Amino acid sequence: MLGPPLAVALGVAAAVASPVAGDATTARILLGALEMAVPLTAGVACASLIGRDPAVEIQLAVPTPYRETLLRRTVVTLGWAALVAAVTAGALIATGWWARWPDNHGPLTGQLTWVAPTLALGGLGLAAAALTRSPAAAGALVTTVWAVQQFFAGAAQQHLPGRLLYLFATTRGADPEAWTANRLTLLATAAALLTLAVVVLGRSERLIRSEDE
Amino acid sequence: MIATLRYEFRMQIRKRSVWIVPALTLVLFVLIGGSLLRDLFDPAERPPEAKTAVVGLAVQVHALLSIGFGCLLADRLVRDDRLRVAPILDATPASRAARLVGKYLGAGTATAVPIAAAYFGFAIAYAINSGSFPAVLWALATFGVVFVPGLLFVAAFALTLPLVMPAPLFRVLFVGYWLWGNVVPPDLMPTLSRTLFNPLGGYPLAGLLGFHGIDGAEVWAGPIPGAALNVLRPEPTPLLAWLSIALLLALAAAALAGGHWVRFSERTRS
Repeated sequence: MLGPPLAVALGVAAAVASPVAGDATTARILLGALEMAVPLTAGVACASLIGRDPAVEIQLAVPTPYRETLLRRTVVTLGWAALVAAVTAGALIATGWWARWPDNHGPLTGQLTWVAPTLALGGLGLAAAALTRSPAAAGALVTTVWAVQQFFAGAAQQHLPGRLLYLFATTRGADPEAWTANRLTLLATAAALLTLAVVVLGRSERLIRSEDE
Repeated sequence: MIATLRYEFRMQIRKRSVWIVPALTLVLFVLIGGSLLRDLFDPAERPPEAKTAVVGLAVQVHALLSIGFGCLLADRLVRDDRLRVAPILDATPASRAARLVGKYLGAGTATAVPIAAAYFGFAIAYAINSGSFPAVLWALATFGVVFVPGLLFVAAFALTLPLVMPAPLFRVLFVGYWLWGNVVPPDLMPTLSRTLFNPLGGYPLAGLLGFHGIDGAEVWAGPIPGAALNVLRPEPTPLLAWLSIALLLALAAAALAGGHWVRFSERTRS
């Protein structure tokens, strides 16, 4: 619960602390909090939803299928991140900071700035957790994918598949023309990963086995 | 302590995720960052000196695999409480401090084994490919002064900080810190990168190994004109490199001591 608000707060602090003059730089850091920090917290939170229940056997014995319980948790986790991001985006639009980043893609379509990477990392976190049953491994994979795209922003976008799957195309994108295709690809990837998680969780008795301790 | 260390090591090294996470990271790295392989195996692109090649490799491997290392260790200490085995372990003759140090060194070493395997695997392949066998000695030296202090620093905080915050929150803050404290340019915002407290080893890289990037033009330690916190960025020398290593180890010891104190005060209350 703490993650998304903390992510926004750290982004605002970074924008305030930046000694680089210019509204565009400040606006880029503020949008970066939505495109980078909020999806990271949502992804790691989704990665931590499986493998922590102390008595999975009881969960499997109740009328509500355990898969449904986990999917409800996912909706709450992603919904909370979305609420925080939407309120922040609204504040940035109202104060004019949204428009000060040249590649903002408008107040409506531009919301894909945070929607696409949040769903993509959330889907990755849930799918990795369903497959590994280990919050540590799933969290490590989400943070690593995020960090690789940060460290190698240029190299990651040299080729078309990398550009289409790049998480930070609004604030660090190499090709503004490919933004829409990038966001749609991320949404499709998120749908595929969430479907994979739903399928894997269909055999929920598999979760009785202890997590990878 | 030795018994705890051996048990924690054996327990951790058998975890599939300890091997899966670094393996997937390397696959991703090679797919995206291809420069790693070109810098090592392409005669037209690799640097002329073997030392530069293997130290440059260390920077890339350390920067990326340490993230998974910290995230994988984050549940090790709180796990004893979650599984409710801590009181049983407390009843054994082994002291709490010795068990903490044993867990730290055992689990930390086991999680570092895949990192060492990846680094030395690439370094040995490079040495064979280029015919430059001193590269392996340089790799050993680099592992000792760059990887070991950095990983000991990360492991201490990864074990103890989840005592005071949820492990998922620690993972988020850790990767944010890793990017901010190692990579963010100091003239963009106040940061610990290029300071004596840099766990990526900026001072040992510059002061002990004379490394200034694959192309010889990068700065990994020292002051940046106009940047905040330049007081923590003196010009790198060998002495300051050892000081940087000592500071990282001292901070690791402080984190462990803090973690021990938190656990001790919790148990005394309950």
